[in-house]
Amino acid sequence: MRSSGLADALVLGGVTLYATPVVWQLATSLTASGDPADVMAGLSLAHYRAVLGASPMPRALANSVGIAAAVTLLAAALAAPAAYALARLPVAGRRLLLVGIVLSTALPTVATVAPLYLIVRALGLRDTWLAVILADTSFALPLSIWLVVGFIREIPRELEEAAAVDGAGRLAALRHVLLPVLAPGLAAASLLTFLFAWNEFLLAYTFTATEASRTAPVALALFPGVFETPWGDIAAASMLASLPPVLVVLALRRHLVRGLLAGSLKE
Amino acid sequence: MTARGDRRLAWVLLAPALSVLAVVTVYPIVRVIALSLERRVPIFGIADFVGLANYAFLARDGAFWGAMRVTALFTVVSVAAELVLGVAAAVALRAQRRGVAISLSLLLLPWCLPGVVTGRIFEWIYHPSAGLMNRLVAVVVASAQPNWLGDPRLALPAVIAADVWRTTPFIALLVYARLVGVPAAVYEAAAVDGAGRGATFWRITLPLLRPVLLVALLFRTLDAVRAFDLMFILTGGGPAGVTETLTLYAYRSLFQTLQLGFGSASAVVVGALVVALAWGHLAATGERDAV
Amino acid sequence: MTARRAWIVVVLAALAVAGCAERRADEVRLVFRHSRMPGERDPLPALLRDFERRHPGIVVAHEPLPWTADVQHQFYVINLEGRSAGFDVLMLDVIWTAEFARAGWLLDVTDRWPAAERGEHFPSMVEAATLGDRLWAVPWVMNVGLLYFRADLLGRQGLAPPTSYAALAEQAAAVMRAAGEPRLAGFLWQGKQYEGLVVNVLEAMWGEGTDLVGRDGRLLPEPARAAAALARRRALLTRGISPPLVTAADEELTRREFGAGRGVFLRNWPYARALFEAGGSPVAGRVGVAALPGGGALGGAHLAIHAGTRHPDAAWALVRHLASPDAQRAIADAVGLHPTRPALVDDAALRAIFAGARPRPVTPWYQTLSATLQPELSAAILGLKPAGQALADAERRLAYFLRP
Repeated sequence: MRSSGLADALVLGGVTLYATPVVWQLATSLTASGDPADVMAGLSLAHYRAVLGASPMPRALANSVGIAAAVTLLAAALAAPAAYALARLPVAGRRLLLVGIVLSTALPTVATVAPLYLIVRALGLRDTWLAVILADTSFALPLSIWLVVGFIREIPRELEEAAAVDGAGRLAALRHVLLPVLAPGLAAASLLTFLFAWNEFLLAYTFTATEASRTAPVALALFPGVFETPWGDIAAASMLASLPPVLVVLALRRHLVRGLLAGSLKE
Repeated sequence: MTARGDRRLAWVLLAPALSVLAVVTVYPIVRVIALSLERRVPIFGIADFVGLANYAFLARDGAFWGAMRVTALFTVVSVAAELVLGVAAAVALRAQRRGVAISLSLLLLPWCLPGVVTGRIFEWIYHPSAGLMNRLVAVVVASAQPNWLGDPRLALPAVIAADVWRTTPFIALLVYARLVGVPAAVYEAAAVDGAGRGATFWRITLPLLRPVLLVALLFRTLDAVRAFDLMFILTGGGPAGVTETLTLYAYRSLFQTLQLGFGSASAVVVGALVVALAWGHLAATGERDAV
Repeated sequence: MTARRAWIVVVLAALAVAGCAERRADEVRLVFRHSRMPGERDPLPALLRDFERRHPGIVVAHEPLPWTADVQHQFYVINLEGRSAGFDVLMLDVIWTAEFARAGWLLDVTDRWPAAERGEHFPSMVEAATLGDRLWAVPWVMNVGLLYFRADLLGRQGLAPPTSYAALAEQAAAVMRAAGEPRLAGFLWQGKQYEGLVVNVLEAMWGEGTDLVGRDGRLLPEPARAAAALARRRALLTRGISPPLVTAADEELTRREFGAGRGVFLRNWPYARALFEAGGSPVAGRVGVAALPGGGALGGAHLAIHAGTRHPDAAWALVRHLASPDAQRAIADAVGLHPTRPALVDDAALRAIFAGARPRPVTPWYQTLSATLQPELSAAILGLKPAGQALADAERRLAYFLRP
């Protein structure tokens, strides 16, 4: 028992040490001078006040919440039915479609940013939420479809077939049998989509011009400093920009593991 | 529930997603290939067809091959380090009896941060005078103040370290989830057979982890080749291009030199490379048939 | 009786209101976008209210731009490509004017701007606003690269400010030897991989008697001399005259080093002067200013009119007002941004330095030029490539990008 206690302490200690960079940034954001070593002298919320009061961050955070939520909902709404069709129904060229979808999730954002830029420009969507939402969806949608297909495949067909035998129509079988079992998988896919959309940088950086549409990562990258770099303010802004994804991940931790394992283990 | 009814239902369900995909994913892929065959400067209204000239220039461009080298080095070193550290972390977590949830949550923290946040965190840590790194270095060697992001010999290792820190938790979690699924009986049998810790690890644990590690290898390799945010924030590809990966090279060509056509060619090359890697992995692990 | 008077009042009131509405319809609303003014005292509101008083019927709304130059540039590109940009008058970095003019975003002001008035400004500022023999913007505020030096340290050696970079290196070495202080840097300049590096290397080339772009528009007319200039910069690092921090330094980092007394020579913009002379500065009263050998690079901003403006005449009136001698003087007094008229520069020595300012290559392709040069110049400065090869590699890329 004692050695197990030591092991526990060591592992916990090691993991805490691993989080040092985050702690360092947190400390920087809480000292008046911007020097983490001063954290012993006393904590100060001055940087947070500065960031929340007089910087582009609050607006950027709002933009990020809206855009990430929209991408997540859009991807879920489009991916779920499509994934069901690909997993359960006869579709001509299904394998080709799936291979195409899987390969398109591998694309780097830099590969399609130029034509997307031209589209945004042509449609007059520069500096709007819609531009970023559309661009993010181009990557979030294939990812969602692929993940949900994997989840549906894990559920034995017999489940719905049994419901059909009991006299339920396909729609009822979907609603009462498949959906509840699929719910955690959908949650996992939505979580990963939200994370992707929130953290996405290249597309948001290219398509936004002002605070009207700038997302939190972009605002953090461009954080204003006239002459000197305001490390304390940047640290506070970093913490704020990380809060939503961290909260979401912690809340849905279990689903995250499912999501990460999805489509990978064919056992 | 007729077959024809099923097929019709399938297309009804697929239509919305496929139409959106056609516009935002398929069309841009086709368009970027078309753009790569042009000399295009949108703000000056220049749009001329030049065939494969952009690709020919890429083949001769030292900066492009430099970016290729940087990407390869970054990928190999990062992924190797992450795999080793991730497995070690997962095994350590498995040994933990209580407080695992806390450990997992702490470990996940670096992974769910936006790349830009990690970039700014390490930009501060690598600061020549006030940064954490140099304060620690000063404890050991008083007068040394390495310029982590400005010294061409240190910049790439510094960027790699930041990336490894950020992504090791992903592999640790993946491996840990797999380890949890291994019944205790397996290890008990090994212990009964007199296997030591090392033998157990190499002969039993590692082979069990092989499928997960292959998946992790694929994901991480693709992610590493596609990496952009971190080095964009930390170094912008500098100094002198020693941290300029293919993605940064493509972005610079596209938007900083305003050469949309030439930039598209480099973007196509990066995209094709990544897709080829993914395809190769699918084929190698036989998952193409499972798809 | 009362009812009729009431009616008269009502009718008069209605007419008054109708008259007001008519005036609002006639009212011209201009939008002016500009960088935030550094420091506390913003001279713009007063200048704009003054303009509105002199031009009844015109109302000016002004909005600041994002902070950094790159973001401002991206903002402009994204917004000016559409038909309606949402602003009429814009403040442009001098290196963007040719690019925006070629893109068709700026109003041609050649015919509106009398030649006599043009002559009131420093020629380099006007040259930077010229493309294809037409004028596209009006000079507003001006910067020039300056050579700052520690007059006390030079004085101790009996040295006058150098007139060549070779002499500068020797003087710096001599002062460093005499001072015997390990942290004293000989020459601080900006060597980080960004626009500032291109500026510094340009000045190095001018000091060598050559240029990046020749009169005929050809790139690197004298490659050997250009390479020699670049190699000389690299030599500053290998000889220890410039400390390693220079290779990752921008204006602020070098300004703070010099301002803390750790530099003999500094290349920087005029804004640093006030900071060195501020109360509590370790180098107050000991800093001299001279011209850079070969001339300093031109910086600053122009005022331009969006080609799609609905009120070109009103916008032109605003531009003339903001660029007028009084306005430039007010801006200089408030925030220290230098005027573009020789007549407004009281210090004769400074006037001569400003007159010697040289614009960076005035070409619509300046962004391409700079972005392509930066990594190559950085490689040469760091010693990763010989100077000649770096320039040749840059030239090869530029030849491909800029081919006709």
